[in-house]
Amino acid sequence: MIMRSGGASSSGAPLANNEASLPKLELTDIGRDFGSFTALDGIDIAFRTGEVHCLLGENGAGKSTLCNLIFGVHQPTRGFMTLNGAPYAPNGPHAALAQKVAMVHQHFSLIDELTTVDNLLLGRKFGLVDRKAEAAKILALAEEFGLDIKPHAVVGDLSVGQRQRIEIVKCLMQRPEVLILDEPTAVLLPDEIEALLKVCADVAARGSAVVLVTHKLAEIRKIADEVSVLRAGRIVARSTRPAEDMNDLTTAMIGRSGTGGAFGVASLPPRAPHARSRMVREALQIDGLSFFDQTGARRLDKVTLTVDQGEIIGLAGVEGNGQSELGSILAGLDHPSEGRWFVGGKELTHAKPRAITAAGAGIIPEDRHKVGAVNAMTLADNLYLNQTKSLTRWGLIDRKRQTEGATSLMKQFDVRAQGPAAPFSSLSGGNQQKAVLARELMTPNLRFLLAMNPTRGLDIGAIEAVYRSIREAADKGIGVLLISSELDELLAVADRISVIYRGSIVGTRMASYDNRAAIGSLMSGTATQ
Amino acid sequence: MSISAYMFSDKRLAGFNGVLARLAVPLAAVLAAFTIGLIAIIAMGVPLGDAVGAFMRGALGSPYAISASLNRAVALGLVGIGFIIAQRAGLTNVGGEGQIAVGGMIATALCLVPGMDELPAGLAFILPLLGGAVAGGLWAGIAGVLKVRAGTNEVISTLLLSFIATWLVYWSVQSENLLRQPMTNSATLPESLPIPAPTQVPLLTGSYASPVTWGLPITIVIAIFVAIMLGRSIFGFRLKATGLNPVAAARAGMPVNKLLVGALVFAGLLGGLAGALMLQGEQYSLKSGFSSGYGFDGLVVGLLARGSVTGVIAGALLFGFMRSGGISMEMAAGVPSALVGIMQGLIVVMIAGAAYYLDRSATR
Amino acid sequence: MTLELFMVFVASTIRLSAPLLLAASGEYVSERAGIVNMSLEGMMLMGAFGGAVATAFTGSPYLGLAGALVAVLPIALLQSVLTNTLRANQVVTGLGINILVLGLTTLGYREIFGSRSREMIAGFDPISPPILGDLPLVGTVFYQAGLLYFAILMVALIAFVVSRTGLGIMLKAAGDNPHVTAISGTPVMAIRHGAVFFTGAMAALGGAFLSIVDIHTFTEGMTRGAGYLAIVAVIFGNWRIGRVMGACLLFGAATALQFQLPAMGIQLPNALLIMLPYVLALLAVAGLVGRQTAPRALSVPFWR
Repeated sequence: MIMRSGGASSSGAPLANNEASLPKLELTDIGRDFGSFTALDGIDIAFRTGEVHCLLGENGAGKSTLCNLIFGVHQPTRGFMTLNGAPYAPNGPHAALAQKVAMVHQHFSLIDELTTVDNLLLGRKFGLVDRKAEAAKILALAEEFGLDIKPHAVVGDLSVGQRQRIEIVKCLMQRPEVLILDEPTAVLLPDEIEALLKVCADVAARGSAVVLVTHKLAEIRKIADEVSVLRAGRIVARSTRPAEDMNDLTTAMIGRSGTGGAFGVASLPPRAPHARSRMVREALQIDGLSFFDQTGARRLDKVTLTVDQGEIIGLAGVEGNGQSELGSILAGLDHPSEGRWFVGGKELTHAKPRAITAAGAGIIPEDRHKVGAVNAMTLADNLYLNQTKSLTRWGLIDRKRQTEGATSLMKQFDVRAQGPAAPFSSLSGGNQQKAVLARELMTPNLRFLLAMNPTRGLDIGAIEAVYRSIREAADKGIGVLLISSELDELLAVADRISVIYRGSIVGTRMASYDNRAAIGSLMSGTATQ
Repeated sequence: MSISAYMFSDKRLAGFNGVLARLAVPLAAVLAAFTIGLIAIIAMGVPLGDAVGAFMRGALGSPYAISASLNRAVALGLVGIGFIIAQRAGLTNVGGEGQIAVGGMIATALCLVPGMDELPAGLAFILPLLGGAVAGGLWAGIAGVLKVRAGTNEVISTLLLSFIATWLVYWSVQSENLLRQPMTNSATLPESLPIPAPTQVPLLTGSYASPVTWGLPITIVIAIFVAIMLGRSIFGFRLKATGLNPVAAARAGMPVNKLLVGALVFAGLLGGLAGALMLQGEQYSLKSGFSSGYGFDGLVVGLLARGSVTGVIAGALLFGFMRSGGISMEMAAGVPSALVGIMQGLIVVMIAGAAYYLDRSATR
Repeated sequence: MTLELFMVFVASTIRLSAPLLLAASGEYVSERAGIVNMSLEGMMLMGAFGGAVATAFTGSPYLGLAGALVAVLPIALLQSVLTNTLRANQVVTGLGINILVLGLTTLGYREIFGSRSREMIAGFDPISPPILGDLPLVGTVFYQAGLLYFAILMVALIAFVVSRTGLGIMLKAAGDNPHVTAISGTPVMAIRHGAVFFTGAMAALGGAFLSIVDIHTFTEGMTRGAGYLAIVAVIFGNWRIGRVMGACLLFGAATALQFQLPAMGIQLPNALLIMLPYVLALLAVAGLVGRQTAPRALSVPFWR
């Protein structure tokens, strides 16, 4: 039943251990709760030697939790695991490593200031080190798997791809029988991804079970021997012929067919197509925007996008395709490397946050704790964080007006808290988000609203409230750019949906459930315009 | 649910505990330090009554004693208020010593400018005071600019600037080209000329028997001003937001870099003013090491206050009277005044050790 | 400047930099592990005091050194527990400890020595190493206290351990990124505690150098900022042990010049020379002298 799809791997190594009856690592009815939240439930899965097994799923589907259970970071609440047929219950990463289960994390565990060799030696010995001999050993291992590393380079000077190779070598030094890679390609450039996938195939071919977490369908088609799709903590689809089952896998990953009932947006009335006059000005205009990060990697590639007044544009895309960078630029915390952008015709390409607010742009940032609010201040302070001046006379803040204003905002946006003076950190996530939304919607002369993943971590009631407010704003003529990785939410709320993939806009579709599959394939990079 | 369970239910406990913890730890530290001090006195074989009596006489025993303690408290209070202003923006200003030194030095130089003593309407002493304050502000501003331009840790830079400033004072009183009084014979001390009477800060009572200067009311006014500024003004609001979350403050349109530099400059202004007041109100001529210990004591006062101006005033009075009492205890009862230093050190160490747990309970 | 005068200058430069070198090489280890020991001044003072007391009571400067090491233990323990276990602000703790130690040693000195405060204690005689000491002209330079040779040995040892051993890799890693270091299985907490104790021991020997070797007595607050200067040497040395040693020598030379210049008839304000180390360090941290690369997690507490 296990079949390697034709032409998937260039390695061509024989699949010697292809004994389907004997999995290397098997999970039976595994479940994991965090408090009242069930992250994983009823997981049955088997990983086999010589195979690359891909775990596919959206953010929050439970992929990382599953990896952490296997690597011993967390322990399952229910169910059991077996390794080589014997019970396997690691109580920590060290126990997992001792049983030759290794993991390459999304975030590297490397010390930037040390060299490659020193990083690989760290924690292994106290006494004398012979760096020359160690470097030779490491190089030999790296070459065996076709990994190109620089043993004496300082890690901080290396590119993300080079660092990841060191991470992989660190794992391979243990000669792992099970190698888990948690979204290893999210941070890589296209050619680096190719190389990494080849390494995965090689590692599998040399007698390991490889578990590759990803949400990129293109990679699965290239490499996977078997695919399990996770959604909301459960396995919703499997395939041993991923290349042929691409469309079904896409559908499984982005949700059940039908209307997006499970997202708190079902009760929203269908949005009437807004009346467009010929005279409307663009609320937001982005013109050929590119952005290079500190390592010189291109994160945004000539993004061009227009949001008209009264329009809600959804920006769909799997996370890590440039959305954060775009959000950061529109918030004024970063500046583009190329291109220009405007709000209401006013150029803001190099503007500071204050000028962006003054131009009538409200920003709901991705991370409300780091960027959107000051947790240790009161709700009222946060409601007026960027508009304190309006409360100020002779340099003093009119606390009475602030309290009154905050109280009325709380009422208007249904922000529930002990009172305006409650510490922001004491509010629930939903109420915190409603407060941020209230503040940004109150921006004077508001023309444009950016909302980045505004419903992440919120309960259904709060999600509905947030989207109601956003739609009301649009009905009043404000242009909204809604960035989300939840396609069903975008379908329910937006008018049109643009898809961002590897830093560029790869297509735009009307927000209709009929277009869901098309948008999904744009998101996964399997279809082009 | 029993009544006590209700009383100490989470929400009530948070508010109650917050206030209690803020007061309790400094109070407990001070009490513990005094207890250890008393035990040490007994261990040294000095009759407790003698020592305590001498301490009280030195601190509070006469108008002169009270005045000296108050003048000391004024300097510590100004430095301490500066410390909490910088702290509000998330900065640790350990450069009070240097800011005092620069303030005192520039004030002296201005007082000795020919013609300064002839200025009308109090300008003769007001201008040097302002000059000293501005000098202290600029001195601390160096650390602020380094912070926002080069990312230099302000603890290291303000400390280094302190050392440089104290040696600048030393230099200025060693060199006749600078502030040293003319050498008439080999016994001429390395210090500046005494400043002219009109440039001295007037005494509140006009009598040298109780030499409290106008520095006291000036400081009270500043304390009230700063309390309002931190608590109610938009500047204080922005400082606080910057200190707690610089990224969110920047996103909300606040000029974060200007606020950071401004906070340090403000702290330095007060340190410089303290130095100028010490010079023009008490010492009247510049000597090397005139600022010794005031900067660090002021820092400790600011630290004890945990962000509150009232706390600074309480701490400044405590330390002002402790130092005066300590000196008297040494002279009258033979208990080394170093004991006061031990007690101060213990207070700092205890509060620093408890700070993490206090902050954690405060943010929960 | 005659050659003999120059040799005297070199010899006194080395002698004056010895206490700095001891303390700074200890501080170097702490800072590489991520801890700013602002209490270095207090540790030196405690060492000077403990050394003087033990020497005075036993008559043996060797037992004096042991006394310095014993005396600093509680101070190092206090510093280590406050900064590592209780995660207290390292600068504030250090300053507090310095105030505390200044009080303790002053009080202890009055109580213990009291009347006989002017008495000299036994000390170490300088030694003249074979061959080196017999060289013409430069021989005088090597006529130094044995403790100085120990300091140089320690610098070499620290350099070796940091650059050539697994422990050295762990030490640097703990100061740059303690969390990642802990993931590798390195006992970060133990390393940080150990570093503080090592610093305490080295600082105590530096202090003892002042009291036992240099002036053969204890005086109140006798370190006079030497501990802070040693910290400045680590900063100016850009957290590289060789450069830290160079910085100590430079600072020693600046002090030596204060005595030499007037003898040579050169009038230069000695305040300028005293200030020089601090100005250089300020320029260094301002990024004006090369790139500063402090350990990334310097002064950041670590916990799991």
